[in-house]
Amino acid sequence: MSTDQTLPAGPAPVDDAGADTPPRGTLRRALRLLEVPRGRALLAVLVGTLALGCAVALAAVSAWLIARASQMPPVLLLSVATVAVRTFGIGRGVLRYCDRLVSHDVALRGMTTLRTTLYGRLAAGRADATLGLRRGDLLARVGADVDAVGDVVVRGLLPAGVALMLGVGTVTAMAFFWPPAALALALCLLLAGVVAPALTVRGVRATERRAAQARADSSAAALSVLDDAGPLLVSGRLDSRLSAVREADARVAAAVDSGARPTALAAGIGTAATVLAAVAALVTGVPALRAGLLAPVELAVIVLTPLAAFEATALLPAAAVQLQRSRVAAARILALLDAADAPAVDMGDAAPEQTGGGAHVLHARDLAVGWPSRSPALTGVDLDLRPGRTVAVVGPSGIGKTTLLLTLAGLLDPRHGSVTLDGTPLRMLDDPDRAARVVVTTEDAHVFGTTVLENLRVARGDVTPDQAQEALQRVGLGTWLAGLPDGLDTLLGPDARTVSGGERRRLLLARALLAPAPLLLVDEPAEHLDPATADALVHELLDRPTGWDGRPRGVVVVTHRLAPLAAADEVLWLADGTVAARGTHQQLLDGTPGYREAVDRERVAVEPQERA
Amino acid sequence: MRPLDPRLLRYARSARAYVALTVGLGLVMGALVVAQALLLAHALGGAVEHGATLASLSGTVVALVGVVVGRGLVTAVQERFAHRAATRAVAELRSGVVGRAADLGPRWLASGQGPAVVTLATRGLDGLEPYFVRYLPQLVLAATLTPGTLLVVLGLDWVSAAILVGTLPLIPLFMVLIGQLTQGRSARGLEAMQRLGAQVLDLLAGLPTLRAFGRQRGPAARVRALGDAHRRSTMATLQIAFLSGMVLELLTTLSVALVAVAIGLRLVSGRLDLVTGLAVLMLAPEVFWPLRQVGAQFHAAADGVAAAEAAFGVLDTPVPARGTQACPDLSRSTLRLSGVGVRSAGGLTPAGLDLELVPGTVAALVGPSGVGKTSTVEVLLGLLAPDHGTARVQTSDGGWLDLSDVDRRSYWDQVSWLPQRPVLEPGTVRQLVGGRDDAARAHAAALTGLDGVVAGLPHGWDQPLGTGGAGLSVGQRQRVALTAALLADAPLVVLDEPTAHLDAAGEQVVLATVAALRAAGRTVLLVAHRPSLVAGADHVVTVHAERAAEVVA
Repeated sequence: MSTDQTLPAGPAPVDDAGADTPPRGTLRRALRLLEVPRGRALLAVLVGTLALGCAVALAAVSAWLIARASQMPPVLLLSVATVAVRTFGIGRGVLRYCDRLVSHDVALRGMTTLRTTLYGRLAAGRADATLGLRRGDLLARVGADVDAVGDVVVRGLLPAGVALMLGVGTVTAMAFFWPPAALALALCLLLAGVVAPALTVRGVRATERRAAQARADSSAAALSVLDDAGPLLVSGRLDSRLSAVREADARVAAAVDSGARPTALAAGIGTAATVLAAVAALVTGVPALRAGLLAPVELAVIVLTPLAAFEATALLPAAAVQLQRSRVAAARILALLDAADAPAVDMGDAAPEQTGGGAHVLHARDLAVGWPSRSPALTGVDLDLRPGRTVAVVGPSGIGKTTLLLTLAGLLDPRHGSVTLDGTPLRMLDDPDRAARVVVTTEDAHVFGTTVLENLRVARGDVTPDQAQEALQRVGLGTWLAGLPDGLDTLLGPDARTVSGGERRRLLLARALLAPAPLLLVDEPAEHLDPATADALVHELLDRPTGWDGRPRGVVVVTHRLAPLAAADEVLWLADGTVAARGTHQQLLDGTPGYREAVDRERVAVEPQERA
Repeated sequence: MRPLDPRLLRYARSARAYVALTVGLGLVMGALVVAQALLLAHALGGAVEHGATLASLSGTVVALVGVVVGRGLVTAVQERFAHRAATRAVAELRSGVVGRAADLGPRWLASGQGPAVVTLATRGLDGLEPYFVRYLPQLVLAATLTPGTLLVVLGLDWVSAAILVGTLPLIPLFMVLIGQLTQGRSARGLEAMQRLGAQVLDLLAGLPTLRAFGRQRGPAARVRALGDAHRRSTMATLQIAFLSGMVLELLTTLSVALVAVAIGLRLVSGRLDLVTGLAVLMLAPEVFWPLRQVGAQFHAAADGVAAAEAAFGVLDTPVPARGTQACPDLSRSTLRLSGVGVRSAGGLTPAGLDLELVPGTVAALVGPSGVGKTSTVEVLLGLLAPDHGTARVQTSDGGWLDLSDVDRRSYWDQVSWLPQRPVLEPGTVRQLVGGRDDAARAHAAALTGLDGVVAGLPHGWDQPLGTGGAGLSVGQRQRVALTAALLADAPLVVLDEPTAHLDAAGEQVVLATVAALRAAGRTVLLVAHRPSLVAGADHVVTVHAERAAEVVA
């Protein structure tokens, strides 16, 4: 698959509308990733078929037993049947239990494999594919998508396999007694097992297509009422908002209504088919009995057996719906994998010119940065970084400061220009080599659901408790640490919902400081902090650019606080999509009116807090 | 969990007709099932014992075809209306819950119930759909089909009826026993399962971060190990969870088998005729069928029932009595907060606050964040009853009227409130800002800087804006709201941190707006932190909090 197909040129929305009809073979590709062992899957189908087969056999043997008994044979002749009836009765329950366990085990194994594969390929593939994951709820969805693909095994494929095997088995057995009745049963099974599921899928798709937007609107309207209850009450607009909720719900109801018709038809067909098969057996069987083609006892068997033969097909409408949903989920997972596997665009990089002998010098020349498939956010950036040198990047929000850091760290490819590390283009370095020399910590970096110490060890596996403590002290988290119930061993909630925004930022900074890399790129370390603390933190970072080992670091800091920038060797003032001015803090104060005004505004804004 | 909560019928009116319909259809279905068994038994018995011809059975066959059509129709109608009833009932409960929650006010929403209500109002109630579509019909069938068929069996053959009656109570008995035996284990298993699942997701979520540090290789093995552990704990949970299903199936199939064997033995000895035997054989599974379905659908329905119960909890929360006295004219009446304190997680925020809003003046509330400035505004607006002190308004005869006795509408009609995050209705810019005529609008827009924003919009004043003012930045939305406040002639204007999302130029706009409001003789309450704004106020009130520790002391 070529790059053009996987990376849409325009800002294509990644919503379900586009994924409504995934290409053929999508599910098959995703299922291959589950690596379900053929033997286990067959075993699951076999056990499931045997379980439901017991129910069919129970019905057949009971019919035989009663019809034969009415002919008053010696009781001994019936004893085999009475034993068989009890055996099938027990077998059904026990085998069904085994079937459910085996099929869930198969699915769970597949999901583990898929998750591992997904992780492995995302870890080894293109960095921008994983970076894209951070936006929105894409990741939460990846988890749910893997579950949906796994569900198709338990709720879709295995039931379909069982229904097929049981149907073929029952029809074949019936054919031994009376082929016309077997034919009628086969037709009724097709009605319940193929026509009804197809109708159900049609109904559900119609509903989902039309209801998705209405459901989202209803949620949003309800949410906005709850969020802004006070203002809406006071301004007297609550009722109009509530009617917006009702209106969206009415649209949901209409959409569900339109899809309910085929679904209802399918349910009716499913029920009617069962009785129809029995009636058909009766109608074809009675003349056969008269003609001597069928024994009286056999007639009872062929009429009563169909009543138990539809248990497997009854699950198929739901299975078909699951198949459809899983396809959509599979398409999203495959798109993610394809994006990670896509070859990088050839930029015609020159071979490494020379190695700087470990001097760790980062050069950016005429750099343009931006996300793939969007226009560059920032152009014409030159930047030099070496251990001991500090650069501050300031500018309005949304101008592309974070994107610049990601590009300087080699996680995004430059859109134009070059970033070299000791003369080698960053994109030519492999991940561990690059990360050993330049490390970025962005504002949305992940805090893992583990201890404080383990979170710091993400930067370097051998961080000692002393080093961790020192790093936390340095970023002003000393008192925070002292207040934690278990100190460094305190568990942090998933994605650090238990720490405040400011603490989280500083924790991320401490982690970055513990990294072995000589070059450090830090995004907004001081956000969510009060001005005094923020300035102290940024000043510390710029004034004393040393790592945990005391060796000098090269530091680029993106910050919104200007006051502490006197400590930086150079300040890049971004505006209008490029570097509007650069120099030391003092030079910018003297020569750039916009910068001076921003510093003045900031100073004024701080005062009331200082007065209070 | 109550199978059918009477409150469901009270709060969701569309559920009533549906339950009535379901009961009706359940009765029809029961009759059809019995008819089917009797007709098939009659036809089969006749053919097997007496060699009846198809012609002599034609009446029975026609009736059976009628049963086929009838059962199909009943199932289809049930399914058709189940979805409709479910969406309508969910809609009724949703708007009821949202309306009541809004009515109960911001304090109640913030009191720990808030997040639960948000979940309820967004997706939680959707769990009622399986309850309506799958569970409720089976429940009704369990109450109609099961006793109905049992009665018919009793009429046909009391021995079989006795066997069925004997085994039926075993089902609930064993379910309860197994439930009690496995409860602790499955709860622990579920917890371990969810924890392991969350850890895998955590690693996936942290992949970009691990990559930034070049440490993504190691955890791959951990993803697999966690996945395997997750599978093992899930399987352990399922082994227990599926046990109840197995017992249910064993009991039902075994008792049907028992009935079959008993019939067979009595047929041999001539104590029972074939037609009766066949009819009972076909009816016996139908006695258990609804019970098995209720058991199977129980878990799918449980989420919905829990959500419904939470919704009833909200709907049953009484709304405090509202004041009925007409509010005095605020352009002449003073509002006064005396010694106001509001309890919060952190203690009292604010604590001991005195504030007097004299008509035609500008007052500013200052203080660090979290000290209770917004709570003060909510007390002043009558949205929040203070835990300490009083909030009163002066009457025309010079007396004082407590805000809780004032009719809220008559008060709020005199208020223009700009919250920190302005709420904009969908509509055009012109509709949103209001105002008498274009000239007034242009004048106000020039003051607030909205004119510049409008000039940049493709359709100018007629630009439609979505809910929340989609398409505008927060700062631009604030300008829209400021203009609307300027143009509305409410005597009291409350501006909550109006400069929070504005730059220095935007701050000038707010200053000019406040000055214009004051010149128009209107009362302004500012929640501010910028000195320039505070400087323009007639008096400044500093809000203090009393932290929890101090309260105890």
